[in-house]
Amino acid sequence: MVDMDVMIKAEELNKEYRREGAIIRALVDINLEIKEGKFIIIQGPTGCGKSTLLNVISGLDLPDSGKVILDGENISRSTEDRLARIRRRKIGFVFQDFNLINNLTAIENIESTLWPTVLRNKEIENRSISALRDVDLLERKDHFPAQMSGGEKQRVAIARAIVHRPRVILADEPTGNLDPDSETMIMNLLKKINKDYDTTMIIVSHRDLSKYGDTLIKMDKGRIVSVK
Amino acid sequence: MALRLWKKAVVLTLRSKRRFTVFTLMYTGLLIWSSFSLDLTPTLGDIGITSFFIAMGISMFLSLLYAWIITNYRRREIATLKCIGWTNKNCQAIIIGEILFTTISGFLIVIEILFHIVAFLGYFYSVYDQDFAASGLPLISLSSVFVTFLLFILVQLIGIFLGTRRVLKVRPIIALKKVGT
Repeated sequence: MVDMDVMIKAEELNKEYRREGAIIRALVDINLEIKEGKFIIIQGPTGCGKSTLLNVISGLDLPDSGKVILDGENISRSTEDRLARIRRRKIGFVFQDFNLINNLTAIENIESTLWPTVLRNKEIENRSISALRDVDLLERKDHFPAQMSGGEKQRVAIARAIVHRPRVILADEPTGNLDPDSETMIMNLLKKINKDYDTTMIIVSHRDLSKYGDTLIKMDKGRIVSVK
Repeated sequence: MALRLWKKAVVLTLRSKRRFTVFTLMYTGLLIWSSFSLDLTPTLGDIGITSFFIAMGISMFLSLLYAWIITNYRRREIATLKCIGWTNKNCQAIIIGEILFTTISGFLIVIEILFHIVAFLGYFYSVYDQDFAASGLPLISLSSVFVTFLLFILVQLIGIFLGTRRVLKVRPIIALKKVGT
């Protein structure tokens, strides 16, 4: 049996929001262990806390209590700049709305992840071309986001998420704005990246994407209700 | 790395054509105004000085406004960049680069305009065999433009410093919010 390390460990996570005077318990006593190289689907209805969980385990949001250990580092009480550097080294993000920069071409959007690093320009370009090749979109490298379809934009976003060779990719509703054909293509692409690079994948979705995952985590009202 | 970010800031500035054109023209006008005021100070006295400081005040206000517009317009982009590992300083470098590049563009346009005016008048006077230097025309001197430009940059830096503090307030989590929410 292959010995798999723990990539993300969440211990007793709690998070509350105040909205119009009411307290919403977004995360309630969450304990979670995600092993390296796994493909995890977090599923649940809108408002169940799945996006909050993603935000907390990526360091974009801080828990009220509990801790998150990412690849051996406790990130629950880090400064903003330290968290940014951790994300730069270890995390890739894929967003529902793609979040590409409209004034940059596909290749520049991908390169933007590496601009604040000490890598040489040629190395940045080579890595970005390689990432574009991985998502099979090399011929669109000089196109702007406005000239691409939703599926193509998401593939560029995936290339941007893998260009710095992260340990884990977090995707928040990555197929939320796509048609069924594009959804299949994007999920197969994420699965391929997971297999080829042994990158841990955590996908949050309200849709049923369970057939793609190694583990399906179901959430409701801020709690994990099942892990299969 | 900082140099690379500044280069990318130039690319982003040039691609935001409308904003770049409007602000460059405003900076050009302000540079001409303040250089002219500085040159006329010996003749006009307090009026020249007052006019110069008004132009500097407007310049600082413009740099604040520019930083505010960029930060607001690019709020989601800044949040996305923070998500993918950019620090506050990296994001600020892009905005500072954009404003400084626009100011420098304004300065270059002023220099270009001055050269053209001098060339035109020089030619005109030579045709009629007149002494151009003795004409007493109220032309802006190059030294005034340079002094104004340096003071402009100084004032800009203060404005930029205050304006880009807004970048610190952009939380990366905004990038995950759905468009329109």
